[in-house]
Formats: sequence, structure tokens, C-alpha cells
Amino acid sequence: MTTTTRTEHVRILVGGLGYRNLRDGSVGPWVADALAGEARDGVEVEDVSYHPVGLSQNLQDRAQYDRVVLVAAVSRGRVPGTVTSYRWEGELPDRDAIQARVSEAVTGVISLDNTLIVCGALGGLPDDVRVVEIEPEDEGWGEGFSATVESRLPEVVEAVWSSTRP
Amino acid sequence: MCFKNLPIEFDEQGNARLKEGVANPYSYEVKEVTPLHEDQEKLERLLARNGHIRNVDFDPVTRVAGALAFHTVVDLESRQVLETDSMATLFRGYEVILKGRDPRDAIFISSRACGVCGGVHSTCSALAIEMAFGIQPPPMGTVARNLLLSLEYLYDHPLHLFLLAGPDFSEPAVRETNPELWERAESAPAPGKAVHGRATIAELMTDMTPLTGSLYAEALHMTRVAREAYVLIGGKYPHPQTVVPGGISATIDTSDMNEIHLRIVKFFDYGRKVVAIWDDLIDFFYEANPQYTDVGKRPKNLVDPGQWDDPFAYDATFAGSPEWGERRWATPGVIVDGELVTTDLQLLNAGVEEFVDHSFYEDWTANGNGYRFPQDPAGNPLSPYHPWNKETIPKPQGTNWKDKYSWSTSPRWDRLAMESGAYSRLWVTAVANKLPHRRFIDPTGQSLRLSVPKAALPAAELEWKIPEHWGMFERNRARAYAIVYTALIAYENLLIGLDLQRKGETRTATPFEVPTDSRIGVGFWGAGRGYLTHHLTMDKGVIENYQILTPSTWNASPKDPFGNPGPYEEAVAATPLLENYEKPEDFKGIDVLRTIRSFDPCMPCTTHIHTEGRVISREVVTCACGVDDDDHAH
Repeated sequence: MTTTTRTEHVRILVGGLGYRNLRDGSVGPWVADALAGEARDGVEVEDVSYHPVGLSQNLQDRAQYDRVVLVAAVSRGRVPGTVTSYRWEGELPDRDAIQARVSEAVTGVISLDNTLIVCGALGGLPDDVRVVEIEPEDEGWGEGFSATVESRLPEVVEAVWSSTRP
Repeated sequence: MCFKNLPIEFDEQGNARLKEGVANPYSYEVKEVTPLHEDQEKLERLLARNGHIRNVDFDPVTRVAGALAFHTVVDLESRQVLETDSMATLFRGYEVILKGRDPRDAIFISSRACGVCGGVHSTCSALAIEMAFGIQPPPMGTVARNLLLSLEYLYDHPLHLFLLAGPDFSEPAVRETNPELWERAESAPAPGKAVHGRATIAELMTDMTPLTGSLYAEALHMTRVAREAYVLIGGKYPHPQTVVPGGISATIDTSDMNEIHLRIVKFFDYGRKVVAIWDDLIDFFYEANPQYTDVGKRPKNLVDPGQWDDPFAYDATFAGSPEWGERRWATPGVIVDGELVTTDLQLLNAGVEEFVDHSFYEDWTANGNGYRFPQDPAGNPLSPYHPWNKETIPKPQGTNWKDKYSWSTSPRWDRLAMESGAYSRLWVTAVANKLPHRRFIDPTGQSLRLSVPKAALPAAELEWKIPEHWGMFERNRARAYAIVYTALIAYENLLIGLDLQRKGETRTATPFEVPTDSRIGVGFWGAGRGYLTHHLTMDKGVIENYQILTPSTWNASPKDPFGNPGPYEEAVAATPLLENYEKPEDFKGIDVLRTIRSFDPCMPCTTHIHTEGRVISREVVTCACGVDDDDHAH
């Protein structure tokens, strides 16, 4: 009898997103750095903050992932430190809004929302896209996180690993 | 005699000096600006004449890098733009961040000023630093920089022509704003079909449609080709990791050269295709309505510090800059009213001033302490408003079109508003006719002849001609030719690099120590969008003052103290509104937007601001909306 393992069949990309040296705004790249050494069992970890169009192109070049998990700090007016996990349903805005996001992307703006929309429109994402967000408290210039976000990092990491599970 | 407005004359040996007997030679009086809404009588007269005068704010101007707002007053009946105000709505603050830091940090920090072309800032920093340090790169280091610069431009120009400006000429935009042109385009044959493959102008427009058009998709792909080649030397893009004072920190082997070669060659054919596309589009518009030659027109005043150094001539000294500057693949120079007035980097530098009378900064000369550098290191006079004397003192306050309304300063050369872009480097190189490297590029005084080697397409000769009418379309046409021009420069540098490898001259950097005494330096370079300089002073091993002057600071500048508009403002004010609208509410402003985008705006897009001391906070954003009557605090 043969045992089927996830390693043989499931490929998952965990992508951290954000700007470095932007306090809580740097949670995504921090997650990518922190988890890179623990990538295993078909789970790859990468800082995907380089360019939404470039990410789309790179994803299309690779064998299709079964799931992509994106991690970022996103300011949406919630209580700072709030950690949210959800499945992105792939809903795209109208053509003008997509074009606006592509324009942002090619001129240097990196955010979770424009990455989802640009990659969703141009291709490369699998059907199964999970998102882990944290509400930032301080996105000012500098290293290190606010105390609030710092205290929630274990929760972010747990949410990421949970998002890689079947 | 290149200066007509600055108090500078030349002695019998041709050395610049201040005019004698002029008290306070650089002083000026601020000319009052009277916006229409403040001249109630005039406004009421205009409104009484017709009801078609409107304030139209483009806020933000989309499909540009960073934050730009543009305010206009338009007369929709006479189809004229009556008033314009260009507003950079975010402050960069890199000058403040860099104070007190190790000068080598500038290479990595200044790069972050732009998310499109950060590498140009890295190299410009390195140039300023090595002038201050007194070091120079080995030839292979300069070749590597030239390749990096070329690859950034080969990323930037397609991006602009098809992703940012291009959608304004696509089927959906033309159908919506000028349906009569779309109808005409459907039956208009495309003369460049043999190169670009589209039988009609309408097919070109359809293929330029955002997201679904094949030319849009192809441009996205070509930006990737350029990035792939870039990272072979630069490590990553857009913020390279290998640029250092005195060269680059990466070694380059034959394999790297071959990988880059494969990608550069693709731009030979692609560049020809882009030229054919834009030639066809532009000629179509001119033929359909000759008034399109007036869209975005302004005086032929251009400035460009040149770029792509001669690996065997560049010595990083200010004293030698007139000589090594003229050996660049893009000749430095200033054009005033269509006439070339200098190609001397020292004079180009001496003519630059930055004014803040309509910007959210304090005048640093107001302290009455005089200014530090009345002369440059070669003895040329410098203004108190010159970047080496400038201090960045941000002062956020209410927006008022009459007073202060932009985070951009007003750079001027000889107190004239100058524009800069991919086109300025073509123009100066063509008219100066001093290019020493003529293997593939031949300036004629009126044009640039470009010999494109065989790739998938056969070898070909192209010629970019200095345009008779200067405006929106010609900026884009020149940018299309700039792809070919850039690819040829990259190719020639690649060949030089291979030759250096063959001779064993593979060293890419020069060792150095950070000096601890007082030093001064400037980087003269270019960005995809045009002029770029970094002015540096340092002492005790750290930066004392750092000033970045970008192309969009020139182009997007607000009015100067003499009442003259900046280039965007001037070009939009001269633009006839050729859009097809029946009711005012149908007005989309396509001609205004095409004009602004033709400059390839890049409002350096960081969101950091200096407040007090060295405290940095985020997102001090100004908004053009609703500033008609009252100061708009933010």
C-alpha cells in the first residue's frame, strides 16, 4: 500500500508583501524572512514584494501552485493588531480600476490589493488564494514594529501555517 | 555668451565671472500672480460672456508615477485653457533623511526616491560621491553603469508608451473622446504595416487597449526582458545592490555579457516596431486635424546633463567635466528657443537655480547669513539658489494658487523654465553634433541617424529629426526613437565590455577610503524621464547637504518668482481642446491629460515627510480639490 503525502501532490507558495523599513508595514517581508528556513513539505516561502507585474510573470513561468498564501499589513481602519485570514475569491473590479492598479504597479506601488488585482487580471494565481492580514498601528519610517503588532506576530505566523493546511 | 538673464559674463579667455558693478546680482522681486478667481472682475466678465468656463481639477492625474494634481480653468466654448496650476502633492524628503549619514548610504537611500527607476539615483549618487572622494571607476565599471542605465531606459520607455501614455490613444479612449477619429482610423491604412503588422490605424488603436491589447501585453513583456538583463549586473530591480563609488561591486563574466546581449538585441526589432507604430499614429492625428501639432506646445527650451560616460575619458573630476561631458553618448546641453547655447557641464551647472516662492518650503536665503558657495570648484559664479547652496526646509501650509501650491520647487536655467525628457537627450546630441562614438549613431546637426543591426528583422537605418512643431505628440515620438537609440548605446557598450574582457581588463571598481575633510561633488546623469543631478557636500566623513534635482521637478514645477509657468502649466495652457463634446459635462479633458502624460511624469512617490528635527512621519498629502476660494489646510 502506498501512502500519498502532501509533498508529492501539493505545492503552496507563502508570499510576504510590503515595504521594508516601514515599521508595521514591513510585516510581510518579515514573515518571508522568518519562515524561509522552515519551508518544507511542498511549502515554499518567498518575499514577493518586488513587483506585482513581475510576480504575475514569474508565477506564470512556474508550474502552477495549488495554493498561494499572501501575508501583509493592510490598513483598513480596524483595531491595530487585528489579524484576519480569509480566502480571496478572485473578484476583480472593472477594467479602468484594473488598469489603474497596473499603472500603480509598474510605477512602484506595492500593496496586497494591487498584487491581488494585478495578478488576478494578468494571470499566475491559482484558484486557491489565501490572505493573512494584520492591521498596522505605525507605518512610519524605521525598523522594528509597534508593540501592538510585535505582540501579534506569533498569531500572524500561526495564521500563515494554518492557511497552508488542507 | 550663454546667459541672458543671470548676472554672468565671460572674460577674454572665456572664463565666466559675475558682472561687475551689479549690487545683489542674484536678487529678484517676486511678480504677483493673480489667479482668475481672485480677479473677480475678469472672471465675472468671462462668465457673463458664456457659461462654459469651468474649474476642472485632475486630482490625481492617473497613469503617472506618484502624486500629481493639476488644476485648470477651461473655456469649453472657445476650447481654450485659461489657467493652469501644477501641483506635486507629496514631499520626498530624501535630502533631509540623508543629512549626517555616511555618503555611501546615499546610493541605497536615494534609490528609494523612485519605484520606477531607482537605479539612476544610485548611480547619480555614486558619481557625486566619487567626485567628492577623488576616485574614478575602471573602464569596465563605467561600461557596467552604461549598461544598467540603458536597461532602465529600455524598461521605462515601453512602459510609458504603452502602459501610461498609450491608453490615451487606444480604441476605447478615441471612441469615447473623438468618435469621428475612430471612424476615420478604421479606413486609414497604416504605412508601417511591414514593421508592426497592423493594416489600419484602428488596428493599432485596438491593440493599444489596456489589458486586452496585444501591444499593451507585448510592452509588459518587454519591460520584463529589460529587467532580466538588469539584474544580471545590478542584482535586483529597481533598487540595485551593486552600485558603489568607483564602479560596481559585481564581477561580470562572458556569460553575463551573453545573457545581456541576447536581451538587448530583442530591442532592435522591438524599437523599430515602436517607432513605426508611433510614426503612424502621430501622422494620422496630424493629418486628421493639423491643430494636434499645437497640443502640448511650448517654447523649445530643454536641458539635459547628458549620460553614458566614455569608459576611457570619464575621470570623475569637476575640472574635467567639460571634456568628459562632451564625450558622453548623450551630449550634455541647454537649448533655448530651439538654439543650442552650451554643451559645457560647468556652465550648465552654473545656470541652475531652484526657487520656492510657490512651493511649500522656506526660502533658505532669508536668514541673511550669505551663502556658502559663491563659486563652483572651477571658479564659475553660483547663485544663492543653486543646489550646492540650497537647503531643504519644508513648510506645509494651506494651498493657494496665488502663493504656494506645490511640493515641487521651480528649477530654472538662466531663469527660464526648461523641460527635460528622453527627447532632450536626442535633441541635444543631434544638434550639438559632438558625439565621438559614431559606430551606430550619427548626429547631423538636425537629426540623429540610427543604424540598427540585423536581428530577426534585417538591418535598417532610422532617422529622428528635430521637430518643427514641439508638443505632446513629438515628445512621444522621440521617446519611441529613444528605444532604438538606447539599445544601440547598450550594444556598443557591450562590445566595448567584451573587448575589455578579451584584454583582461575586468576590474569593475576602484578601492577607496572615505575622506574626513570637507568635500564637494555632483552627479550629472539621467533618468528615463530626463535630467538628473545629485549635489553633495560632506565633512568629517558624513553628508552635510544633499540635493536631488529630478526631471519631473523641472517639468512639473509651479510658477517661478518672475511669474512664468512651469512646463506642464505652459504646455497645457497652450493646448487647444480638440476633444469632441457636446455638453460641458461630457468633457473628459483628454487633450490636457495627453499633454501632461507626454512629459512622462514621475512624481517621486515616497510618502515620508520631515516635520521637526529629524522626525519623519507619513503621508502629508495635499489635495487640489476645493481650493478655489479658501486656503486649503492639510
